[in-house]
Amino acid sequence: MSRIDAHGHVFARATSDFPREVNAGTPADREETVEKLLSYMSASQIDQAMLVQIGGTSLEHHAYLRHCLKTYPDRFLGIGLIPESAYAHPQSHMDQLADGTGIVGFRLGMVGGPQDPFEPVDVRTFSTFPIWKHAAEKDYVLWLYVRATDAHQIAWLVDAFPQVRVVINHLGVCPGEGKGRTDEWGRPQIDTPSYNPGFHTTHRLSTYENVTMHLSGHYAFSKEDYPYPDLAGWHKHL
Amino acid sequence: MSSASGIPDSDWKQWEEQGYLVFAEAIRGEELARLQRAFDYWSAAGKQDWLKGVARGEWSATYYDIPDVLTKDEVFIDILDRPRYYDYIKAFAGADAIHIGAQVRTAPLWPISYTAWHPDVPPHHPLHIKVQVYVNDVEPGGGEFAFVPGSHRPGAGPYPRVRDLAAMPGHKRFPGKAGTAIMFNTYGWHVAMDNHTQTPRKSIILTYERRTPEKVDPARYASIFASLNTPDRRRLFGLD
Repeated sequence: MSRIDAHGHVFARATSDFPREVNAGTPADREETVEKLLSYMSASQIDQAMLVQIGGTSLEHHAYLRHCLKTYPDRFLGIGLIPESAYAHPQSHMDQLADGTGIVGFRLGMVGGPQDPFEPVDVRTFSTFPIWKHAAEKDYVLWLYVRATDAHQIAWLVDAFPQVRVVINHLGVCPGEGKGRTDEWGRPQIDTPSYNPGFHTTHRLSTYENVTMHLSGHYAFSKEDYPYPDLAGWHKHL
Repeated sequence: MSSASGIPDSDWKQWEEQGYLVFAEAIRGEELARLQRAFDYWSAAGKQDWLKGVARGEWSATYYDIPDVLTKDEVFIDILDRPRYYDYIKAFAGADAIHIGAQVRTAPLWPISYTAWHPDVPPHHPLHIKVQVYVNDVEPGGGEFAFVPGSHRPGAGPYPRVRDLAAMPGHKRFPGKAGTAIMFNTYGWHVAMDNHTQTPRKSIILTYERRTPEKVDPARYASIFASLNTPDRRRLFGLD
């Protein structure tokens, strides 16, 4: 059986061939290449991996991801991003990125429905509804790492689109406002209560057969070193 | 027939064997109306803070508990020792049963329930009893409480982790009118069923436990000392 790393990021130096956005953690001259990832995969006996786009949402920003998928088609599949400006009409963007490239789905950071759970719900008004609809039509995977305020909205769309395969990222944690920072290595750190609100939102999505969840991101949520014993309760809850 | 505690033998038997009891109209009339008014008032008063807490990732959006509820309105204290069910708490957990918490909870409409089947505590935990009081009418399919009778007993189970809550073998559902109270042993497997109605479920979950020294913390209730004015209440909150 193949061993697959379900979620990783790679990026090249920012060049005209591989344009990307930069930030403090990913300055223009930094690179974390797919070849470096392959060396780690080899050392850990990992056969394949999912590569998740970072560095921008435009078609051009996906150049390095597409390069990786083209160079190593038997080792990787990809997850792309969609600019928020395209949410209302995402079909062209999604199809161009997924057209024989190895990109099989798209990551969303929001759902776009009512933040008040007591408001009436019509999923057609959710800002990401066109994305879900097109994913259902084209069998694209949706990769979700959404804001805390959106967590309860996911179920409505999962319920509406049972044919869409959904991957909840990073233990089902949905980061809260003002709860994110980076550690000394530039990795995300997310303050999350030990009684994880996800127990009653994202984890409940296990009801649906088309939803899976990553056992990942522990370093970002744990207050302790590997093997992150403070998260044992979360695992037990699963 | 009844035992020295005044609890009918049939109720003792059901509690021991099934792990639950239902008290219809446990709260009624003006007291129920008062409870409903306080529930709605304080739910509205705290809602914006709750939404901010949800956005901060501190609270779940799939249920909403009024915070610090015992300080909000006397009625939330009054219902803790209603004789209709509190006499049973004393009989089952001993006269020194203590109050653990009161969750004054609204569950918004959602495609699925906010919780899965679960016991609250393991059987080696001191006896832990909850009383769920419906504040509005809870219809079948309206997020009603459900329990697996007998699942509290030593050696019961194992119970499957079912995707569909309705697939739990042997479960019993408890729709009921406002004011209905359902008492259950939390060693047993229980859940809030999916709500397919158009009405969010409003309920209050009162938690009691057989007293152990580590759970006695009267300082926690300093703000409501004036209301703890009966022997029962003083014991319930660990003041005596």
